[in-house]
Amino acid sequence: MKNFFKSCLLRGTPSMVLALGSGFVMASSADIRAALGMGAAVLISMILTSIVVSAIHKLIPAYAKLPVYLIIITGFVSIIQMLWQAFFPIVVDMLGAHLAALAVSAVIYRDAEEVADHNGEWTSIKTALTTGIFLTVIMVICALIRETLGNASIWGVEIPFLANYKVSALAGAFGAYVVLACVLAAIKKLTGAEEHLEGEEHE
Amino acid sequence: MNIKHLINTILILLAFALVFSAAMFGLNFITGPIIEENNKGAEFAPLLAVMPDADNFEEITSTLAGVPESVIAVYKETSGRGFVVRTSASTQYSKEPMEITFGVTADGKICGIQLDVYTDSIDFRSKDANYIDSYLEKDSALADIGTVSGATYSSTAFKDAVSAGFSALISNSLIVEGVKSDAQILSEMIPTLAPGMLKTEEVAASGNIEKAWGAGNDAGFAYVVKNGDASFLALVNATGVCKVYDVAGADVTDAQSAIADEAKAHASANQKSYTEDLNTRVTKLFADASDIAPIELSTFNTVVSAVSFKSNGAEYYGFYSRSIGFHQMDVFFVIDANGAIAKMDAKQFIFEEEYFAAFGGMNNGEYKAGFEGLTSETWTGDAAVIATATMTSNAMKQSTEDAFAAFNSIKGGN
Repeated sequence: MKNFFKSCLLRGTPSMVLALGSGFVMASSADIRAALGMGAAVLISMILTSIVVSAIHKLIPAYAKLPVYLIIITGFVSIIQMLWQAFFPIVVDMLGAHLAALAVSAVIYRDAEEVADHNGEWTSIKTALTTGIFLTVIMVICALIRETLGNASIWGVEIPFLANYKVSALAGAFGAYVVLACVLAAIKKLTGAEEHLEGEEHE
Repeated sequence: MNIKHLINTILILLAFALVFSAAMFGLNFITGPIIEENNKGAEFAPLLAVMPDADNFEEITSTLAGVPESVIAVYKETSGRGFVVRTSASTQYSKEPMEITFGVTADGKICGIQLDVYTDSIDFRSKDANYIDSYLEKDSALADIGTVSGATYSSTAFKDAVSAGFSALISNSLIVEGVKSDAQILSEMIPTLAPGMLKTEEVAASGNIEKAWGAGNDAGFAYVVKNGDASFLALVNATGVCKVYDVAGADVTDAQSAIADEAKAHASANQKSYTEDLNTRVTKLFADASDIAPIELSTFNTVVSAVSFKSNGAEYYGFYSRSIGFHQMDVFFVIDANGAIAKMDAKQFIFEEEYFAAFGGMNNGEYKAGFEGLTSETWTGDAAVIATATMTSNAMKQSTEDAFAAFNSIKGGN
């Protein structure tokens, strides 16, 4: 089980190792609300996609899998976007086009194609859930650093004593790269990512 | 991929597309009205900020007649609570027009007001944090609303924008016009009757003087003076000449000589004299100037001092104008007996300063010489124009026109 979680964190959480989905991780990590909103959108779309794909993957001919999986992901992302617009409009305002762009995200497709297409529903859900949660946690950690130090605020509420010490660059694209790189490096160091991946390759 | 695979793929995709379309169609019944409500809330957020208890708004701008240009939009609160007006205003310090939103109750009083956009280099909110809130509960008369010291142009523009919004509502009979006090009517006459008194600020009053204002450019003083039940406006220019007006705007100086005397006494104690400065400048421009004598002016413009003098046997008149461009301007004119400018000079040519980032330099001598020989008949304003320095150009125009007006008043004009 420990190995499963480690796999999910390092291999299954795309932006940690393959740098897939780094774009929306960075775009969503300027504010904790945006990070949670995007994290929830990724998590739900991955779970729903995994359930459907793992249920129907035997019925779909191999030659039609790519477009079909993409239309499934697009469908779920569109539904989530409608729900977010209705119930979390502020998050939609913050995320802008990045939420819609989730429909063509390699993160969800990879999960559908690599895991759900080869496993049953339970394994697919478990992987999607774990990967989605890890991704959300990483976005929230990045957002916590960027919003606090870059904007001198948390959850949109100003932190007065930090107002004169904020590093505005952290709130921008440059800061997103720097913070993501630092978080990624810290996780790799703490979890021994390199050894884990090398071990997997030898197996 | 053969044709069969292609058809299969299309059919499968169509099936999934149909399923998701149906799901989204159904979901839209739930989320659609909520999204519409959210969008409406975002659109009306500035309106709700100034009228929080409003149910809904309906824009009525297109149905109104005679709406001033500065009014951006007028909204009616659908349950009859009142109106919300969005207006704009510009000053010479504006990068972009300021935008103001204010709510007016059905009985014509401001229930909320906020500044949505403000780009002036001088922020009147930092000089008087309570200025905007002082509009609350005021009707269209805007009684006791003055200007902010140190940000006169911006706060005046703000007040004018609010007045324009009220005017749109009043002219369409949506609210009843507020009643102005005599003192307010008189104070609002100052810019018209004494256009040279710029950046006026309230000063301490005494005796029968209810209210007193001093011009920021030292062009004189304005007073609202009580005489029995009636109030009068007394204006004293920088040369000590006083005129008294009643609330109808009629000149009653002769009939109200006591008021004039009281106003002149107050002004005399507080007015800064520029005669010495003018004398010095005249002798600098005309080394042989003699018989220099101060002149009282009947004008109420930016000319703060005037003298007559002789040079080389000819008669000349010197004028000291204090108009305001980007900064205070101190401009001197010497006009000959025929009304032609003999010399123009300034204490500090503002256009030499660094703030004109785009200013490519100019020949001061040529610029000054461009005024020489001009009379009030041949003056078009072109000589005052300095490329990229609009505010200074406008100040120079005003000073020149005021000097001509002062000269004409001496020579038996108005």
